[in-house]
Amino acid sequence: MYKNFICNYLQIQSCIPPKLLKVMKLTVVLLVAAFLQVSATTHAQKINLDVKNVTLESVLTKLGKQSGFNFLYNSKMLKAAKPVTISVRDMSLSDVLDECFKSQPLTFVINDNTVVVKNKVIFAENTTLQQIILSGLVSDQNGQPLPGVSIKLKNTTTGVMSNNDGNYSITLTSGQETLIFSYIGFTTQEVAVNNRKRIDVTLIEQASALNEVLVVGYGTQKRADLTGSVGSVKANQLMERPAVNVEQALAGRIAGVNVSTNSGRPGGRTAIAIRGYSSVNAANDPLYVVDGIVWTSGIGTLNPNDIASIDVLKDASSTAIYGTRGTNGVIIVTTKRGKKGTSQVNYDNYLSFNWLPKDRKYDVMDSKEFLFVEEEQYKNAPKFDPVGFAAGKYQDPIIKRKKYLVGNTLGNRELFTLDQSGVPQPIYNVDWQDMTTTNAISQNQNVSFTGGNDNTNYGLFMGYANEKGIIKESFEKRYNVRAVIDQQMKDWLKIGGNLSYAYNKERRVDESVGSNNTLRQLVEMVSFIPYKYEDGTYGYRGDYEGLEKGDNPLAQVYENNPLYNSKVFSGNTYANFKILKGIEFTSTLGVNVINNINPYFKSTKSDLQGGLGKNYSRITSSESTFWQWSNRINYAKKINDDHSIDLLVGTELQQNNGLNWVSVTSVMPDDYYSYNNLGAGATPLAPSSSTNAFQMQSYFGRVNYNYRDKYLLTGTGRADGSSRFGKNNKFAFFPSAAVAWRVSNENFLLNNKVISNMKLRGSYGLTGNSEIGSYKSQANLSTNSYIFGSVRASGSAVGRLANPELQWEKTSQLDLGLDIGFFNDRISIEADYFLKKTHDLLYDAPVPATSGYTVVTRNIGSMENRGIEFALNTVNINKENFSWSTNFNISTLTNKITGLGVNNEDILYGTKEGLILRVGESAGSFYGYLRDGIWGTADAEKAATYGQKPGDLRIKDINNDKVINGQDRVVLGKGIADFYGTFANTIRYKNLDLIAEIQFSYGNDVFNQARNSGEARQGLANSFATVLDAWTPENQNAELEQVRPTSAGYNYYMDSRKVSDGSFIRGKNIVLGYTFSKPLVSKWGISSLRIYASAQNFFLKTKYFGYDPEVTTYEEFSFSQGFTYYEYPKPRTFLIGLNLNF
Amino acid sequence: MLTVGCEKDFLAENNASAITLENYFTTAAQASASINGIYPTLQLFTATDGYGESPWESLEFPVGHATSLGQSLYNNGLIRHTNSSIEPVFRTVWVGFYNGIANANVAIKRIPPIFMNEATKQSLLGEAHFLRALYNFYLVRLYGDIPLITDPVDFTSPDLYPIRSPKQKIYELIVSDLKAAENSGLPNTDKTGKVSLGAVKSLLASVYLTMAGQPLNGGAEYYKLSAEKAKEVIDAGWYSLFTDYAFLHDRAHKNQGELIFQVQYQAGIKTNDLTAAVTPSKIGISMLSNEYGAIMPRSEFVKSYEPNDKRSQEKQFFFTEYTKKGSSTIVKFGEYALYKYFQVEAAGPGGDANSDQNWTILRYPEILLIYAEASNEISGPTQTAYDQINLVRRRANLQGLSGLTQNEFREAIWKERYHELAFENKAYFDIQRTKKVYNLVNNRFEDAFAFKNESGATFNEKYMLWPVPSSEIDANPKLKPQNPGWE
Repeated sequence: MYKNFICNYLQIQSCIPPKLLKVMKLTVVLLVAAFLQVSATTHAQKINLDVKNVTLESVLTKLGKQSGFNFLYNSKMLKAAKPVTISVRDMSLSDVLDECFKSQPLTFVINDNTVVVKNKVIFAENTTLQQIILSGLVSDQNGQPLPGVSIKLKNTTTGVMSNNDGNYSITLTSGQETLIFSYIGFTTQEVAVNNRKRIDVTLIEQASALNEVLVVGYGTQKRADLTGSVGSVKANQLMERPAVNVEQALAGRIAGVNVSTNSGRPGGRTAIAIRGYSSVNAANDPLYVVDGIVWTSGIGTLNPNDIASIDVLKDASSTAIYGTRGTNGVIIVTTKRGKKGTSQVNYDNYLSFNWLPKDRKYDVMDSKEFLFVEEEQYKNAPKFDPVGFAAGKYQDPIIKRKKYLVGNTLGNRELFTLDQSGVPQPIYNVDWQDMTTTNAISQNQNVSFTGGNDNTNYGLFMGYANEKGIIKESFEKRYNVRAVIDQQMKDWLKIGGNLSYAYNKERRVDESVGSNNTLRQLVEMVSFIPYKYEDGTYGYRGDYEGLEKGDNPLAQVYENNPLYNSKVFSGNTYANFKILKGIEFTSTLGVNVINNINPYFKSTKSDLQGGLGKNYSRITSSESTFWQWSNRINYAKKINDDHSIDLLVGTELQQNNGLNWVSVTSVMPDDYYSYNNLGAGATPLAPSSSTNAFQMQSYFGRVNYNYRDKYLLTGTGRADGSSRFGKNNKFAFFPSAAVAWRVSNENFLLNNKVISNMKLRGSYGLTGNSEIGSYKSQANLSTNSYIFGSVRASGSAVGRLANPELQWEKTSQLDLGLDIGFFNDRISIEADYFLKKTHDLLYDAPVPATSGYTVVTRNIGSMENRGIEFALNTVNINKENFSWSTNFNISTLTNKITGLGVNNEDILYGTKEGLILRVGESAGSFYGYLRDGIWGTADAEKAATYGQKPGDLRIKDINNDKVINGQDRVVLGKGIADFYGTFANTIRYKNLDLIAEIQFSYGNDVFNQARNSGEARQGLANSFATVLDAWTPENQNAELEQVRPTSAGYNYYMDSRKVSDGSFIRGKNIVLGYTFSKPLVSKWGISSLRIYASAQNFFLKTKYFGYDPEVTTYEEFSFSQGFTYYEYPKPRTFLIGLNLNF
Repeated sequence: MLTVGCEKDFLAENNASAITLENYFTTAAQASASINGIYPTLQLFTATDGYGESPWESLEFPVGHATSLGQSLYNNGLIRHTNSSIEPVFRTVWVGFYNGIANANVAIKRIPPIFMNEATKQSLLGEAHFLRALYNFYLVRLYGDIPLITDPVDFTSPDLYPIRSPKQKIYELIVSDLKAAENSGLPNTDKTGKVSLGAVKSLLASVYLTMAGQPLNGGAEYYKLSAEKAKEVIDAGWYSLFTDYAFLHDRAHKNQGELIFQVQYQAGIKTNDLTAAVTPSKIGISMLSNEYGAIMPRSEFVKSYEPNDKRSQEKQFFFTEYTKKGSSTIVKFGEYALYKYFQVEAAGPGGDANSDQNWTILRYPEILLIYAEASNEISGPTQTAYDQINLVRRRANLQGLSGLTQNEFREAIWKERYHELAFENKAYFDIQRTKKVYNLVNNRFEDAFAFKNESGATFNEKYMLWPVPSSEIDANPKLKPQNPGWE
């Protein structure tokens, strides 16, 4: 008989003959306790059993252990069962069950790996009960169907489960029942039936559900069992806010993970800092691990749509398993794979519309204002340069402009016409910010095919993204394709692999920070020179005497073409062997092959690089191959329900080989050749190339111990050897330990009505950093060249001072954490305190230059990061048609340098030494002069002691030596925020969902050098409109010095005027989505469909005067957050998209 | 597991794009390359940053005869004598020349054991000795007592943290290096830009003249040595004065005629900003993309030339107007600019924008004037001395000198140095060794510490030396105390 029932259990009702249904009161009882261990896959089918007079329940327990099957039953129901006596050998499970249930009032159904025990159907001829069949669909916030959701009638044990497509149907008697929908990782929801025949339900995910499975280094762990600090984001959360890359997808999701999108450039210049910064010279980027393999090609090449989950390891206990690479935190990306028993096609797309927000535009001078200031400058010239003025060094601008009148015969450009009173007036008035920016439309398309059966899962993923920048001509395109397969070859062997190819093509307009690049010219190109003259030639700034040379920004966009092409091939395979019960061996081999070809062409029409009339081409290329081979053994053992132990030991090899080469030429006979015929250049420059290789060899291990789910202990160790270090220091060992106490599993809290979860965590450990580049311990000779008889002569010279003692940078980290949940986890809090101390900082420490060298890479100096991370998740309302949940996280960070060099000497770096590393200060502090206002008329005498006049800039004489020089500089601010975080709300009403996410940051300053060149050089270039309010005898309290020609004595300081408070609140994302009802879309053959509209960066509140305070234009310096000089403006974005499954 | 057993090889590091010091210096070609590698340090004189600031200008500004761009804080600090030891140029020069010395030390130590042609070897070593002497000569004059480094330094050598040596010791090394170079079989002259015997002797003449004056005060003995060495150069007849000042800054006459030793530049290989630095700021005349106006001679200086001096006439050493770029319009500067460093082939009409003018270290007129000055100190004005200075003067359309007292002749020579060698990095060193400054208004020489120059600054003990860069003292406190006045 049972054979009739061997069909998909989840569709059991439809399998029952209709006649039976009428009379049957089907009771399926579920006990979910054991359910989550479904992860085990294949099991022995032959059963051995020898018992006498034991309860059915204990028999079932034994069968469960032997078979690996899950048994679903209600203990109450089993009380009615008779004792069992059975003795079998090598019998199949179903035969054994038949035997056991022969004389029981119960029967069973086998579905997949699950055995469901139920009451035998009782035929009651005369009973005619009212039968209502209710059906519906259960899905998550993104409209993805949820299979396996438990749907119970309230106050009974009756219930069903949703099937693979998320559908359920249940038979009711009155139509007035209340259903309880529950699913692991989601908030339980009650729904009153109210005589409906169809109820679709959306479940809300719990932010950090205890049963959530996290990917930790070389394995997985349930959140409940975690001792360290790990943050996680799942695919469906990522879907809420479409993002171009993984980093931006992560932004704001996890406390302690600070993601700064530092540019509006397509693809952004995203920087991630996990728990602050720990290194001066070595990299501060986290380690990226994708499907178990270190990802070397830059995470920007990964398609965010391919990601199933991102797990971020923060504390030393979690990261120490990555040893020398773990100091900056580890970001583990798990890509999507096929699912068993499904066959799905997904299509996701979005279109976005991006523009420069009007309220963020720089206020710059228009033509008339510029010319007015030019006249004022001339008027003030005699005051500031009487000698030069007398000698005729300065020209009356009115007279000068007459040389540029329409119809002039001087060969000058026609820029002015005379008005009625004979005064030259400008013809043009260009708003360069409007002219150079555009409303950019970007698109993103993703298709995936996934599926699987009992033994095989497969997936094919394809993506296309075309992101256009709001500055014309800038774009980033990405093409991704990925194929993945997993195969259960034998009971004891599973293999799988993943092949992916990504092609990124990017065109930038924000190159050459500090030069007259496009972004600088948005402000500094004057308005009275046009984009193009009537004859079709571009307007240049040099067209008007006295102005600095430079292209107009639009000409530059068109005549400079820097392209970045990156092709990444990556593949990895694994094989998993089950050796003995509880012992598995896994071998993983992964390869990344990266090809970069970055061509650049500057035409004869651009005044950059070499000037007008001279073109310039360059191709910068590199190729690298990275491979990693890991082998590990996992051992899991449970000793009488009280103790469970997990052991991991493994080894790993890594190797990287790279070659870089550059070819440059200039003066090609025609711009036509662009970068496609370098040989045509009349003036080729010397080619160059270099190699870069490193190797690592590692041994690692971890033990997890769990006592009654109350006390958890983790110990980790990794020994790493790296080629990058000195002969004597190749290897180092990185241990860590962590403990956790699940207080809520203690008897006194077990059934507490208020506190549903409580865990205390503590960890301490050591991690390292080796990201200093290769060959730093060697005494390499460098090559240089000189010229003899007009011919290049190559030379050799001292290169690097060898440090054979060079070794790892080490970071110790203490983490104390508290996880607490209230009211069945409707309110949950995760809080951590961390203290991170880095010592043996890898650092290019100065050596006396008398040696011929200036630095030696050595381990010297120390730094400290401390902070608190707090995340609060609440489900405020959870009704059938209306729900509201809130996520809030905030992180604090205090970074301090505690030691530097041999004598704690300051290190100044960055443009014009605007950045400083100083003991006691935050890394990357801003350094410069303090502006003390403008010398007033009343201060004339005092001003004179400094050689200054009223109207001149007053710089604070810090050491009071009556001279203003480099010794009067102080720390002016810092780029690192005191605290930052995210506040997000999700509201759902029927089929509508609304998500609003606010980002905030406090205590970060911005040092914007645009206020150097954009305010202090009037007349040479266009300036900010603030110049109109400069000092005059009538305007004594001005912030800017009196205008005058620059050659009449201008001071040009990196001073406090350039530093401003960069705290901000940003409307990060607001989304309104609509999920079509299941019956409707199923008519179209679709299983789910959601459409949405979103606005990103929809508001920005800040005191900062520039485009956006989340910025740096100097990513080449290790600490440059907030240090900027004309950045790519950040767009406001409106986006529409759809997610489709069928 | 699988990985054990191969660890030593696996973690070995082998840099395929650079050679290590240990496995170098085995062939003649490597010896030659290591000598080539000492020269590029010379190019630091014209290395520039964003405002056209460069060390050669920094050596001119303290003298007070030039102005600079308003926004160039460091240049203006040098003019006003308000800089502190933090300013970057002090470090650039220190670091650069010690790097050159390190390269020379490696060559001098590692070349002798190489099996190669002996004459070639000696001549290569001669170049190394000359360059080491040249770098030390600049360092000792600028920074006073400096560390004496004669061996390659590594992480464990005591010389990594050296102390200062008395300047006499440095001069002893300079003289012995130059004497070694003198006897190394170098060719008399060299038109490719390499060290020649003429350059060695010329530098030695200059070194002796410096040693004769302050602060060593070697006196007569060194004046005599200086005069003898200069005379050797003159008598050899290797050099002659150009007939046209334009030859000083064109491409055709590099390393020839009166140009004894120059720093080399070549379009397509290495260019410099010399022309850009002397072009008035944003004036619109130059084919080069930069017009810095970083160093502009004061009009008082140009006017201090004698009335008929050819050198102060338009487009000789200076100019005040030029054709606008891409047109025939004449642009008047309203100030003087240094035509001496304006490379017409690069910046002028039809110029190719490759600014590759050589920087001159030693020029024949200086040797003529050294002879005149040194011999005057020993025996007063002689006809031979007059003949030399008058060669320089007659070329400038000036009358020959005669019948002067020793004092008058001395001042006449100094003045000639100011005018002929203007902006060639001689003036500041002349002030150091004579403690006299040139009063442009009355053409007299004044006590350096008592005269306020045209730029409003008065020399004091502090500005007789540059400071040891503060970062260097931070890295090596053994260099304390800082030079007087710079603490």
